[in-house]
Amino acid sequence: MSVQEEYDRMIEMEDNIEFDKYTLKDFDQIGKKDVRRLDGTEKASGRAEYTMDVQLPGMLYLKFMTSPYPHAEIKSMDTSRAETLPGVRGILRYDDPDLPEVADLGGHGPTAMAPLPKVAHFEGEPVGLAVAADTEDIADEALRLVKVEWEERPFLLDVEEALKSDAPLAHPEDFPENNLEVEHLEAHGDMEKGFEEADRVLEFKATRRLHTYVSPERPCGVVRWNGDYPEFWLKHQRPHENKRAISSWFEHIPMNQIEMHMLYQGATFGGWTQFYWNQGPMYCASVLAKRTGHSVKYIFDRRGDFYGGSMDEGNYYFKVGFNNDGRILAVEAKGHFSNPQWEGFGPGNHFEDNTRIPNLHAPRKVIKVNKGPNTAVRCEQLPNTMSFTLVMDRVAAELGMDPIDVAIINDGAKGHDMDWLNERKVEAGFTPRDSLKECLEKGKTAIDWDNKWHPPGANKLSNGKMHGVTFSWTHEWDDSCGSGEIAMRVERNDGTVSILGMRCDNGVNAETGYCQIAADELGMRLEDIFYRPHTDTGFFPMCPDSSTNTGVNGWAVRHCARLLKAKILEAATSPRAVTQRGIYPPHFPDIKPEDLDIKDSVIFVKTDPAQKLSVAELVGPSAEAGPLSFHELYGAERHPFSAPLFAHAYQAQIGCYKGFRPKFCRQVHFMEVEVDTETGEIEVSNVVNVNDVGKVINPDSCAGQQYGGTYMGAGRALFEEVVHDPVTGVMLNGNLLDYKIATIEDCGPIDTHLVETQQGYGPYGATGIGEDIATVIPAMLAPAVYNAIGVWIYEFPITPDRVLKALGKI
Amino acid sequence: MKEQLHKYLCPYCSTKFEAFEDLKDHALAAHTGEPTPLPEGMIRLTLNGDEYQIQVQPEWTLNYLIHDKLGLTSPKMFCDRGACGSCTVIMNGRPILSCMTLAIECDGNTIETAEGIADSGHPLVETYVKHHCMQCGYCTPGFITTAKALLDKNPNPNEEEIREALGGNLCRCGTYPQHPKAIMEAAELLGESEGGK
Ligand code: FES
Ligand code: FES
Repeated sequence: MSVQEEYDRMIEMEDNIEFDKYTLKDFDQIGKKDVRRLDGTEKASGRAEYTMDVQLPGMLYLKFMTSPYPHAEIKSMDTSRAETLPGVRGILRYDDPDLPEVADLGGHGPTAMAPLPKVAHFEGEPVGLAVAADTEDIADEALRLVKVEWEERPFLLDVEEALKSDAPLAHPEDFPENNLEVEHLEAHGDMEKGFEEADRVLEFKATRRLHTYVSPERPCGVVRWNGDYPEFWLKHQRPHENKRAISSWFEHIPMNQIEMHMLYQGATFGGWTQFYWNQGPMYCASVLAKRTGHSVKYIFDRRGDFYGGSMDEGNYYFKVGFNNDGRILAVEAKGHFSNPQWEGFGPGNHFEDNTRIPNLHAPRKVIKVNKGPNTAVRCEQLPNTMSFTLVMDRVAAELGMDPIDVAIINDGAKGHDMDWLNERKVEAGFTPRDSLKECLEKGKTAIDWDNKWHPPGANKLSNGKMHGVTFSWTHEWDDSCGSGEIAMRVERNDGTVSILGMRCDNGVNAETGYCQIAADELGMRLEDIFYRPHTDTGFFPMCPDSSTNTGVNGWAVRHCARLLKAKILEAATSPRAVTQRGIYPPHFPDIKPEDLDIKDSVIFVKTDPAQKLSVAELVGPSAEAGPLSFHELYGAERHPFSAPLFAHAYQAQIGCYKGFRPKFCRQVHFMEVEVDTETGEIEVSNVVNVNDVGKVINPDSCAGQQYGGTYMGAGRALFEEVVHDPVTGVMLNGNLLDYKIATIEDCGPIDTHLVETQQGYGPYGATGIGEDIATVIPAMLAPAVYNAIGVWIYEFPITPDRVLKALGKI
Repeated sequence: MKEQLHKYLCPYCSTKFEAFEDLKDHALAAHTGEPTPLPEGMIRLTLNGDEYQIQVQPEWTLNYLIHDKLGLTSPKMFCDRGACGSCTVIMNGRPILSCMTLAIECDGNTIETAEGIADSGHPLVETYVKHHCMQCGYCTPGFITTAKALLDKNPNPNEEEIREALGGNLCRCGTYPQHPKAIMEAAELLGESEGGK
């Protein structure tokens, strides 16, 4: 499809593509600092409940056998001793008649997978057997009593090995021909021409080693059958998918008979939630809960949480053609990736979305090896930010140019320049603003770029370390796709408003943001709005596994608040009630709804604000005559009844990343490092993040994503690596002693700034921020270290030994 | 074996007696006035100011006791083996890792959890909320207990001291920069209320 065709289709498909025409005149709560977070006290006092905390009477604990081999099949299994162990209440084997061959086990879309497979494709894979017992210890002991005869198979850990023609098969069941699952291509232009016209061409390779999400709360879940009706406590980000999948189990459980509880979640960052099979353990738990009559909780141990990783693991091969003025003419970016679980993105997407580079060829090979599955781990754009940062900064370094100048000269989209992009902004209804420049203005000042940037290896600090500084940039975070629904009701008696939706909290403080939007839209006080996460209202907001809380749910909240406000004003101007005793006149007789407004939870006549009525007075009290009214014992001045005020709204939209919507907001990042050339140690000493979020809903939440993402990104860049023993295929560091994540000491000051160009596709021109920083920061360590020591290190994480090796010291 | 079964053991001092009467005489003579000794596996705890007497198994960790048995959800298991600080509780004034402590060894100890700190009205909880020290919140109670123990010991910590004290607490969401702010503000509030006394 040509860019123009794509663009036409985009316009066709999107009803909300036009810039938010209804932007509020005055933002009161939206954008305000120091709004108290709704989950604060619960979380600080330790009373917030997580799935891991759930305990039900008589609950059993379910543990899984894991494969000791990276690739092996169970030939036979003797569970007799485990079965007779006191305290064991149920055993489920791979050959159990109650287990279907395949079931929909969630993940990134419907799946067909074995709930309890008999073949393991990586060491540590839960396979073959699940034991439910009175305690975790008894379940573990039972697992130790099982005798298994395994047939070991040859295995592969390395993508390049896996591509060789004589390589053994890593997943012969699903990929019987070879280990190449699929190859995607993102491309435009004419590569040959691009390289030919370029003043210079350079080639290099980079490697990202496996890293993972390390969810503080391990994978777990609870199921209980209430007669025929199952009830689930799930640690997942996608309740709607979970429910859909569950309803297909046991030859169909009606959706309306399933009850789901999504409590607070020890963040998953995509991760576990997106793996196919992530509901495998829940399936097994459901079978055993049914069979034993007990509730069953499954829990993975910490090592089990290292089950899978991030889908940027692999090798990157770059060839770049560019001119002496910094204009890039052609980028070839080839990715060889290990085990991505879903299509995701190759290494070319950000060149497409951020630049005017006319020629792009970015194939992505998805290769099967015998390690755990990889998926989006804050986030699937990691391969892109890696490619983009490395290529941009490498070009600047080759030319001795300021990387900021290289950014500005190449800014654009889909091979077109900024004029083209500005036309698209106008077409979409936005007022064009130069987001990159606005971000750069703030960022350059904050980091003091003009004084700090220097040629590579040119700044030795007084502490003997080498100083490096770098810059990278990208577009707005693009997961504006998705759908969500929200409902709102006005509570009787005090007129407060409940937002009803299924909770799916990942810590980004979205629920407070929804209340801010609702408050401003309704004209109500913030303290009168509450997000009520009824566990199974049936209203599923878009889940937070994308930066979509604002982009999608924000719209739904906005729509819903508007509908509710209209209903409130309608009610205020309509007869209060028509009853057997007669018709009760409106609160505001002879006034049209449009003549009213609401401020501070009080309805008033626009032309005469003294005529007013609080929302609480409008809805009135409930009493002995049921929830809606008093008996009319006290005369007609009492409220006879007032109709319930309820609204429901939804939003469905296709995201930028399907290629339909160009991205207009830019994000810029600066990093300083100090490198000790004796020990190879790197210290990330200062970071500045400037994010154009379009429109800020909650600045404190945005900052949280900025510094939080920086720490995660720094850890990823500096030391996060899951190591497998090449001889046995066994994971060597599946715990938090041997796999390091960043502590408070692992990053210097982090300065955060926000820019609001109102060019995002969310309400008020907002766009998401949750995934950008943690994704961009890691790759920046390479150019930062280059600026410090004058040597490129393209192997991530950039550990001290890799630095010393690059310096020729070991 | 058989011989042992017929001996009577003093529950206070474990001296053996052949006859029950002898044990009784000994107990009255030597131990009158002493509190009744606890049966094996029974421990006493002061948890958030409340007295508990509870039978524990030798392999139970303090975390299992507090979280799973007594139902206080604040000591969270994150790393599962002494590497994250999420399960921190304050025992006799010191922050300890409840996942690495056996419950049976805690007899007679005084323990404080985040719930207790919140209920006591300690300003940390409010300053933590104000400064967004929680995102997913899973690690937060462990930070609160570590911070409270720090403030008990050092009522006026500087940023450096706070960073050092929190060095063992992992937060995957990266809330780190907010904690020193919240702790210093809580210290200030505590100082004010002390001063006001
Ligand atoms: S769970 Fe105790 S230190 Fe991590
Ligand atoms: S707030 Fe999520 S781990 Fe700290």
